[in-house]
Amino acid sequence: MAINEDAILKSELRWAIVVGGIVAVILIAILYAALAMHINPPSNREYVDPKTLHLSAEFTEANLGTRVDPNGQVVARLIATQFEFVPNCIVLPARTPVTMRITSPDVIHGLLVSGTNVNTMVIPGYVAQVHTTFTKTGDLLMPCHEFCGLGHSQMMATVRVVPPAAFHPGPGGRIACGNRG
Amino acid sequence: MIEPSYPVTAHDYSSDAEELGSLEDALEEAPRGALVVSGIAVGLLMIGWLGMYFLVFLPRGPVG
Amino acid sequence: MATAARPATTAAPRETDLAGLQTSRLVQSHIWIAIAAFAVACLLGVWQMWARSPIQAPYHTAANYFRSVTLHGVSMAFVLTTFFIMGFGYYVAETALKRPLPGIGFAWVAFWMGIAGTLMAALSVISGNASVLFTFYPPLTATPWFYVGLVLVVVASWIWCILMIIAMRSWRRANDGRPVPLAMFATTANAVMWLWTTVGVAAELLFQVIPAAFGWNQTVDVGLSRTLFSWTLHAIVYFWLFPSYSAFYTMFPRAAGGRLYSDTMGRLAFILFLLYSLPVGLHHLFMDPEHSNGFKFLQMFLTALVSVPTLLTVFTITASAEIAGRMRGGKGLFGWIGALPWERPMVLATGLAFVMLFWGGGGGLINMSYGMNAMIHNTSWVTAHFHLIFGGTVVIMYQAICYSIWPSLTGRDFPSLKPLLVQLWLWFIGMMVMTLPWHWLGLEGQWRRVAAFDYSNPIIHGWGPWVIVSLVGGIILALSAFLFLYNLASLHWRGVLGAPAEIEYARAVHEPERVPSSLNGFGLWNIIVALLMLLAYGWPIAQFFVYPPPQAMVHRLG
Repeated sequence: MAINEDAILKSELRWAIVVGGIVAVILIAILYAALAMHINPPSNREYVDPKTLHLSAEFTEANLGTRVDPNGQVVARLIATQFEFVPNCIVLPARTPVTMRITSPDVIHGLLVSGTNVNTMVIPGYVAQVHTTFTKTGDLLMPCHEFCGLGHSQMMATVRVVPPAAFHPGPGGRIACGNRG
Repeated sequence: MIEPSYPVTAHDYSSDAEELGSLEDALEEAPRGALVVSGIAVGLLMIGWLGMYFLVFLPRGPVG
Repeated sequence: MATAARPATTAAPRETDLAGLQTSRLVQSHIWIAIAAFAVACLLGVWQMWARSPIQAPYHTAANYFRSVTLHGVSMAFVLTTFFIMGFGYYVAETALKRPLPGIGFAWVAFWMGIAGTLMAALSVISGNASVLFTFYPPLTATPWFYVGLVLVVVASWIWCILMIIAMRSWRRANDGRPVPLAMFATTANAVMWLWTTVGVAAELLFQVIPAAFGWNQTVDVGLSRTLFSWTLHAIVYFWLFPSYSAFYTMFPRAAGGRLYSDTMGRLAFILFLLYSLPVGLHHLFMDPEHSNGFKFLQMFLTALVSVPTLLTVFTITASAEIAGRMRGGKGLFGWIGALPWERPMVLATGLAFVMLFWGGGGGLINMSYGMNAMIHNTSWVTAHFHLIFGGTVVIMYQAICYSIWPSLTGRDFPSLKPLLVQLWLWFIGMMVMTLPWHWLGLEGQWRRVAAFDYSNPIIHGWGPWVIVSLVGGIILALSAFLFLYNLASLHWRGVLGAPAEIEYARAVHEPERVPSSLNGFGLWNIIVALLMLLAYGWPIAQFFVYPPPQAMVHRLG
C-alpha cells in the first residue's frame, strides 16, 4: 500500500479526515448543548467591589441565603470567605430553575455541588452566577474547591435539595436550613 | 550507521540499524495494521466521550 | 540476552580513549538536577497521599501539607521539566547536528542561574512563607524571593532558547537548503514556543505579583493575573511534551529496528503544536466569571485543533511500529505488534506511553468540552488527568530518553536491560493504579488541594478505600523513581566500557533531500502565532484595561 512518499502522505491525509470527523462530532454535540439546551459555563461578567460588600444592598448579611425574589425566581446568595461559606447551609427546591449568586471579599475560592453540574470559580471583584435545576433531592456537599489558604480543607457548606412540595419560604420569600416549612 | 570496533550487543538498542527484513515488503502491507489499531483507539475515545456526555453529564441537570 | 564476549586483544577501548561529547558534562549536570528534584517530589507526593487518606500520617498539619504540595508542584512542573528539557536540548543540538554547541559558555551561565533560582524558590517554600502552590494565584501572595527564584529559572531557560535557535541557524547557514534533522527541528520548535509561552507568566510576575509581594501595590486585578497565567499554563504542558514526542519520532523507530513512517508528518506535528498550544489557555478558565461564553467557546474550538497533532502522531508512530514489526517477520493485521522488540526500553516505554496517552487524552477531551468542564473542574478528575498525561506519558519517555543517551554520555553500556524494563513497568502500573481511582472520585465530587478529609462525613467516608488504592499506586511510583535513579547512577560504576559517544536517530522511510522552507524554519509560523494570540487573547486581556474591574486586596502569607 504505502510504497512511495505520495502514498504515505495520502494515507496520512485519509487519517486526518477521520480525525477531523471525530473532532467535528464532539464540537457539534457541544454546540448543540450550548445553543439548544442552553448549557454554558458560568460567564457572568458582573463587577462588585470586594472591599465594600458589607455596604452593598445585595450581599449584606440579612440578604444572604435562599430567597424567592419578587419576580418569582428562586435565588441563593452566598459569600465565600476564608474559610467558610456564609450561610453554610442553604435550602433549594428540586425540579425548579434556581440561581446561585456568590462573591468573595478576600481571595479566590470556588465551589461545586456534589452530584450536579453546579461548579464555578468565585473571583473577588465579580459576582459568580450559576443557573441550574436540581434533579435529585438530598443533602449535597458544597466544598470550596480552589486553594484559598491554610483553612481551605475545612471550607464546606451543605445544599439541602427538598421536593418542591416541601419548599415553603416564609414572609419576605426567605427560607433557611433551620426551618423546613 | 555506526560500526564500532567492539562487538555490538543487544544493548546498543539506540544505535541499532539492524533492519532485519525487507522494507519494501513491509511497506506493501503498511499502514493497514496502523489504521486498524489507531481507528479502534480513536473510536473507543469517541464512544467514551459520548457515553460520558449522555450518561453522566446531561443527567446531572442543566447548567448555565 | 547474553552479552557477547569482549575481544581478547588489547583493542578494548579504555574510558580516556573515547572522544567524549562536548556537551557531556553540561547534559549530565542538567539531568541530574532534574532527577534530584523529581526524586524528592515523588517522596513528597507519597506523604501527601498518606496525609489525605484515612490512615494517620506523621507531621500532618495543614501548614506542612501545603508546603509539600507547593514544593512537589514546583519541583515537578518547573525544575524537573526545565532542567531535563534544557539538558536534552543541548544533547540533541550536538548529536543531531553533529557539531559542537555554539556558545557553551552561556549554557553554563544559564545552568548556574537556574540553580540559584531553584534554591531561592525551594528555600522560600521550606520556610513556610510561600505556600501558594505551583499556580500561585494572587491575591494570595508569598515572599517575593519565591517569585524572584522562579524568574531566574525562566530567564535561564530563555538563554537555552536562544542557544537552540542559534545552533539551528548556524547549521542551516553551513548546510544550505538541506532539511534540519527532525530531532533538532522539534527542539527548536519547542524553544520558539517556550519564548511565546513564558510571556504570560512573566508579565504576571513582573507587573502584578512581584510588586505586590514587595509591598509596592496593595491591590491586584486577579482576573487579569489568572488570564495571563492561563496563557502560560496550557502551552507549558506542550513545552514538557515536546521531548517525548521527539523521542516517538526520532528514537522509537530506530529502537524498534525500523523506519519513521513520515518525516514530513513529524515536522507538521511540531508546527501544529507550536501554533495551537498557545491560544487555548482559556480552557483553564471555563468556570471563571471574568470571560464571556464567546471567547471561552473560541478557545475551546482551538483546543479541539490542538488535539489534532496528537491524533496524527498516534497514527504515524503506530505505522512506524507496524513497519518495524513487519520487518521482523510479523504477519497479518496484528502480528507486527508481538514481533516488536519489547525487550528494548525505548520500545517498551513508547508502548506504555501510548496506553497512558489513551486514558489521559480521553480525560482531556472531557475537560476541554466547554460546559461539560463543570462536571469535573477542580475535582480529583483533573489531578488524575495531568498526573496520567504528564507524569505518565511524558515522564516515562523522559526516563527512556535518559536510558537511551546515558551510554553515549558516559561511555558505558548497561550490563543488563532487565532493571530498566522493570522500572518502566513499575512506573506504568503505579501511574494507572494511582490515577484511575482519582477519575472516579472526581466524578463523585472529591475536590482538589485538600490537606485532610473528614472521614466521619458519610459521603467522604465512602471515598476512603479508593484513596488508599491511589496511595498504593503512589508508593509503587516512588519505588520506580528510585529504581530509575539507581539504574542511571549505577551505570557509572557497573557499566560496561566501550559505548560510542554518539547516537543514531531514526531514518524516515523516504529521507527527504529537500523540504519547503516552511517545514525547515519558523518565520511564517511566528506570524501565525502572533495573529492567533491576537484573536484569542487580544480582547480577553484588553478588557481588563478598557473596563477595569474592582481589584482584590493583597493577602500576604507571612
